[in-house]
Amino acid sequence: MGKEVILRQARGMQLLAVASAAVLLLGVSACGGGDDDSGTGDGKTKVKVGLAFDIGGRGDKSFNDAAAAGLDKAKQELDVEVKDLAANATESENDKYERLKLLCTSGYNPVIAVGFVYAGADPATGPVAKAAKECPDTKFAIIDSVVPGSNVASLVFAEEQGSFLVGAAAALKTTSGTVGFVGGCDTPLIKKFEAGFKAGAAAAKAGTKVLAQYISTPADKCSGFNDPAKGQTVAEGMYDQGADIVYQAAGGSGSGVFKAAKAKGKLAIGVDSDQYNTADAAVKDVIITSMLKRVDVAVYDFVKSVSNNTFAAGTLTFDLKKEGVGYSTSGGKVDDIKPKLDEYKQQIIDGKVTVPTAPTS
Amino acid sequence: MTADAILSSQPAGPAGGPGHDAPPKKRRLRLPIVLLMIAGGLVALSLVRVLTGADDLTSSGATRAALQAAVPIGLAGLGGLWSERAGVVNIGLEGMMIFGTWFGAWGAYNWGPWVGLVAALLGGALGGLLHAVATVTFGVDHIVSGVAITILASGTCRYLSQLAFEGTEGGGVNQSPTVPELPRISVPGVDGLETLEKRGWFLISDLAGVLRGLFTEVSVLTVIAVLLVPLTFYILWRTPFGLRLRSVGEHPEAAETLGVNVYRYKYYGVVVSGALAGLGGAFLSMVAASIYREGQVNGRGYIGLAAMIFGNWRPGGLATGSLLFGYIDAVQLRRGAESVHALLLLIAALLVLVGAWQLYRRKYIVGGLAVAFGVLSAVTYFATDRVPVPFVQFAPHVTTLVVLALAAQRLRPPAADGVPYRRGS
Repeated sequence: MGKEVILRQARGMQLLAVASAAVLLLGVSACGGGDDDSGTGDGKTKVKVGLAFDIGGRGDKSFNDAAAAGLDKAKQELDVEVKDLAANATESENDKYERLKLLCTSGYNPVIAVGFVYAGADPATGPVAKAAKECPDTKFAIIDSVVPGSNVASLVFAEEQGSFLVGAAAALKTTSGTVGFVGGCDTPLIKKFEAGFKAGAAAAKAGTKVLAQYISTPADKCSGFNDPAKGQTVAEGMYDQGADIVYQAAGGSGSGVFKAAKAKGKLAIGVDSDQYNTADAAVKDVIITSMLKRVDVAVYDFVKSVSNNTFAAGTLTFDLKKEGVGYSTSGGKVDDIKPKLDEYKQQIIDGKVTVPTAPTS
Repeated sequence: MTADAILSSQPAGPAGGPGHDAPPKKRRLRLPIVLLMIAGGLVALSLVRVLTGADDLTSSGATRAALQAAVPIGLAGLGGLWSERAGVVNIGLEGMMIFGTWFGAWGAYNWGPWVGLVAALLGGALGGLLHAVATVTFGVDHIVSGVAITILASGTCRYLSQLAFEGTEGGGVNQSPTVPELPRISVPGVDGLETLEKRGWFLISDLAGVLRGLFTEVSVLTVIAVLLVPLTFYILWRTPFGLRLRSVGEHPEAAETLGVNVYRYKYYGVVVSGALAGLGGAFLSMVAASIYREGQVNGRGYIGLAAMIFGNWRPGGLATGSLLFGYIDAVQLRRGAESVHALLLLIAALLVLVGAWQLYRRKYIVGGLAVAFGVLSAVTYFATDRVPVPFVQFAPHVTTLVVLALAAQRLRPPAADGVPYRRGS
């Protein structure tokens, strides 16, 4: 190799170094976009809430935005300081632990971890458990997972109860007698949705056929939550098999389900938030109802409990009774069966109906 | 290989035929044979459908979904072909597709779908240019650069989304608003085959289903993608430009001595590669989904690379590979447990046939293994009612492994693929 070539390579390295430095800088400035309202300095010791988002962060129009809404409400009404941090799609469990640790060591208390990913592969030693052990005076909350610890509150939802109601709605609304369920990932959490949906459909009209299909498994990192093309393929398959209403619990793949429903002239049911209001205007008329999962309620209630000094460790289930789950009526497509649905709701609240949390077949 | 060898196996000028870089005694796949194989495949599928009652195997819906799943894989594969034929391994296809999804959605959202298409081409080409600068000009290891580009692409697109999509209706840091679709076209009359498809007749209904799936409601981008396959073949194997580009991938020193500007041709190959991958990304965000969503490429760039290897670094082969992968993915997503279970029977029959042929040719190990797996597959079919879900979801990956394992001995990559080239060294 000649001298000139070596020189040229050295110059190349310099260029690359400068370029990568620039990229790093960009990345850092992009990551630093969280809310930071420290230093209001009115003398009173305010509650400082730290919140760590799941992948997607603020602006995901779904799960994280619901958590952000609860946090913003708490900030307004409870006069607390807040700080939120976003997660990266490719980060490790250790990164999640570091994020929680950073929040608690910089004086944030309580610290809220949004999403089951913060529980880690083993909840007893995962990011939240580890951080809670190392910051024993900080109160932690984790959403969608149960983590042991005397300073950890596990905020979980009775998704099966909300799914029961939309399952009943689907069975009452179907004309073909076949409905479908699309899950983003084959995990116990999403199975709760399927179980409730099936139970609700069977209760409302015996003999209703429920097709169920999952887009991905944990083995491929639950990619099915972010693949609208596959969501559409699965839903089309169900409509082709005679289903006329498909319920999706597939996160970002859900838009594909709505698109399939629109193209086939069929109906769909949304999830987590009132998707009639958040989905694109072109497809909103296919959404008859949505299963609501009030992550905002959970976050707000938790912050409130801490600021009132009524924090309690352990598992707190947000169910129909606490209005942690429910169904939406925007669009008016389930108005005619609302009395029937509310009857089921009351029966579940009263304990007359118990909804399974794992699908039977 | 010496300069003489490259000349003898690749005659200068546009006469370099499709079979010339394969060992000479192998039979070439001519059009009638290919058509015969397609017909045979359809008959086999039809038989399996009638025997097992898995109606979705040849339905128009499954065919359409298979085509839709195959196009992004195929475009990524074509991208890989252009790059690797010029001697640059492009594992950054995934990242270039990510650029394509974002720029496609961004262009389409702001200025309409056709601008989106051009934006995706340019976005992907930009990724390709970066790869070319790193690997060709600076001699960075091809794998390192490719992986870096994929990481860079997902980060960059997230940042750009923050700037462009946050605050728009339905958009946010990880997704775009809904974007307008490219027009879809149908061949008139084909949709009338629906009644025929519904009958369930052997072969006739299957043919009707497949034709309806292929010729109705097809996006123009699908048509463009399909046309790009013969176009790539024509450019790379029938023009002086293509010959030079391939010679750079086979033996750059020899090409240089013949006056080919190796660096420039590598640049051409890698930039076109990025543009094609970008087009594949645009298909995902503008046709398959009409929305950009973070993570939606979901490994299709890598599967495209596998399809290209499956296709022995040739356009026809990679198109076949993409269709195969797309088909398996489509049927497993639509009616997985039932359709994949039925396919077990087909796989069993194929493996036993291949095994018997290999045994006849006295290749006892390969033949014995194939027959054993065939019998195992048949036993599984008869012993179970449905395939367990995890297996169903791995069906595309298992197919890739099996096919690559069986085909690996016949594969021949470009000789200087992945070897950094420094002029004058």
